[in-house]
Amino acid sequence: MTQPAPPYSRQGYHRLSVSGLTPVAKLVIAGALCLALVLLGGIQSGAVNLTWPQIWQGLAGEGSQHVQRVVLEVRLPRTLTGALIGVHFALSGWLLQLLSRNPLAEPGILGISAGASLVAVIAFILGDWLVSSDNPYSNTSFALQYLPVFAMAGGLVTAAAVYVLGLRHGNLSPVKMTLTGAVIAGMLHALTTGALAFWGHAHTELVAQWLAGSLYGVQWHHLHTLLPWTLAGLVGIAILLRPLKVMQLEDQQARSMGLHLNRWRGFALLIATLLAASAVGIVGPVGFIGLLIPHISRQLAGTNFPLQMTLCVLLGATLAVLADVIGRTLFAPYEVPVGVVSAILGVPFFLYLLSRQP
Amino acid sequence: MLRTENLFLSYGDKPVVQDISLAIPEGGITCLLGPNGSGKSTLLKSFAGLLPPQSGQTFLDGRPVTDWNRRQLALRLATLPQKPIVPEGIKVRDLVALGRFPHRKWWQGNSTADDEATTEAMTMTGVLELAERPVQSLSGGQQQRAWIAMALAQGTQILLLDEPTTFLDWGYQLEVLELLSSLDRRHGISVVMSLHDLNQAAQFADRIAVLADGQLKAIGSPQQVITETLINAVFRVSTTVRVGNDGRPFCSGASTSVSTTPAIIN
Repeated sequence: MTQPAPPYSRQGYHRLSVSGLTPVAKLVIAGALCLALVLLGGIQSGAVNLTWPQIWQGLAGEGSQHVQRVVLEVRLPRTLTGALIGVHFALSGWLLQLLSRNPLAEPGILGISAGASLVAVIAFILGDWLVSSDNPYSNTSFALQYLPVFAMAGGLVTAAAVYVLGLRHGNLSPVKMTLTGAVIAGMLHALTTGALAFWGHAHTELVAQWLAGSLYGVQWHHLHTLLPWTLAGLVGIAILLRPLKVMQLEDQQARSMGLHLNRWRGFALLIATLLAASAVGIVGPVGFIGLLIPHISRQLAGTNFPLQMTLCVLLGATLAVLADVIGRTLFAPYEVPVGVVSAILGVPFFLYLLSRQP
Repeated sequence: MLRTENLFLSYGDKPVVQDISLAIPEGGITCLLGPNGSGKSTLLKSFAGLLPPQSGQTFLDGRPVTDWNRRQLALRLATLPQKPIVPEGIKVRDLVALGRFPHRKWWQGNSTADDEATTEAMTMTGVLELAERPVQSLSGGQQQRAWIAMALAQGTQILLLDEPTTFLDWGYQLEVLELLSSLDRRHGISVVMSLHDLNQAAQFADRIAVLADGQLKAIGSPQQVITETLINAVFRVSTTVRVGNDGRPFCSGASTSVSTTPAIIN
């Protein structure tokens, strides 16, 4: 009697299926195809109707100047940045879920999004105040231009505070850290809302859009700001793959296996924070991608960490771009922010997954 | 092998182990006995270098355990906690293979030698036929054998176990203790563990150390340690100790001793 090997067992990797592909390769190819499709969709859809030949010409740097501008200066940077944002949130959430042993962990839980939001709102308000106080060196566009930097700094400082408060007897305690993060995030949200209510009269719409997580007006320089952090994050996670396996064990046991637990845990948290804070800095807090995509990736990939990570990259990018495409075509010319659409798309799927669990 | 000198251990301000000096030689099975909160687990943590002493010192092979490099230490002794956490969805083979972690630098994958050691550890503990099963789907006894396999895959000469039988039914308890005993006899692995059952300790241990209130009350062979006087003093239970056919002591609890129990009936 031969039992069929479970889908992702060791034998599974080597056993060729009918189409000649391992289950792992199939998943990766399927994810890559999804991503390719939504990327094309991202470049094709928008306020100006363009035919596919026009788009190819635009991408190749040919055709009319107008088409080139729309394709190369508006849609391409927006779509690619959207993809990177998805990668950032998905990988950050994946790390945080592994580290905290909490399937509901996501970048928001460490207060990263809340800290970034508060600082961004303060930057808006200060920019506005400096204009009205007749200061020749400052104006609102200054605040807008440096928003990513301010927001990222806010996210990093908040995360650092949460880590320090989450220490217990000198050890990082995931439970204490998660609770601290939730409390601090709640407080910062309240402060953000309060700041908006009191002083936000001038730019409420802009701020509200940013707070909902929007890719509106994203340009190449945003992508250039983001890309180094993406690469740093990917390298960091590659280094972490093996220690992460041992970090899933009970703390004392992981340490007794020769793992410098606090060092590696701190490093993993740093990577997760950098990924999330840099993304929040560009588009504002986008919550559900960081919760949903890691969850789906783990369900699909089983215990295969490299595959989980690859799926996070592919599916995270796919969901972010898809949500943006839907958000800007559904009620065109009005835009629904990517954070809103991804939540509306993702939540039913998430509930479906939960209902299937025993 | 393991030795403590005037060892004091504490969690924060709370003292747990107070002035323990003992020596555990290489080989055999050593059991730590004592009431809840007597410091058994804490002492094991100190043996594993996981808890720096307040004062005094724990020595492994004559060197303070806190001076050991973490990885070198992981090649000398393996630890199994009381409540290990099973990584979500992991299969037995992958769990056991985690034991090879200290044998590799963090950027290296597992080698053929690692795969062989993993298979050998599963054979020794009888979980080879469960290799492709998720650990969470196994019975308590099978899970415990998988954890012991993981500790064995680490390839150490010393095994520290914190109450390895606690969450198992009686049959599995004996199974695990027999497995540990065979590891000692056949493979020369020194086992140090905490236990709750006096008779199981008396049956399987070569050496018993009794702790109470963070202090060492007795250490020696089961015959030397398991006495009516000592059990009465440490567990506050009056017992009858007999000698079994195998020459090992056997005790049966009669009642909690009158001296410490308030006279509830009156």
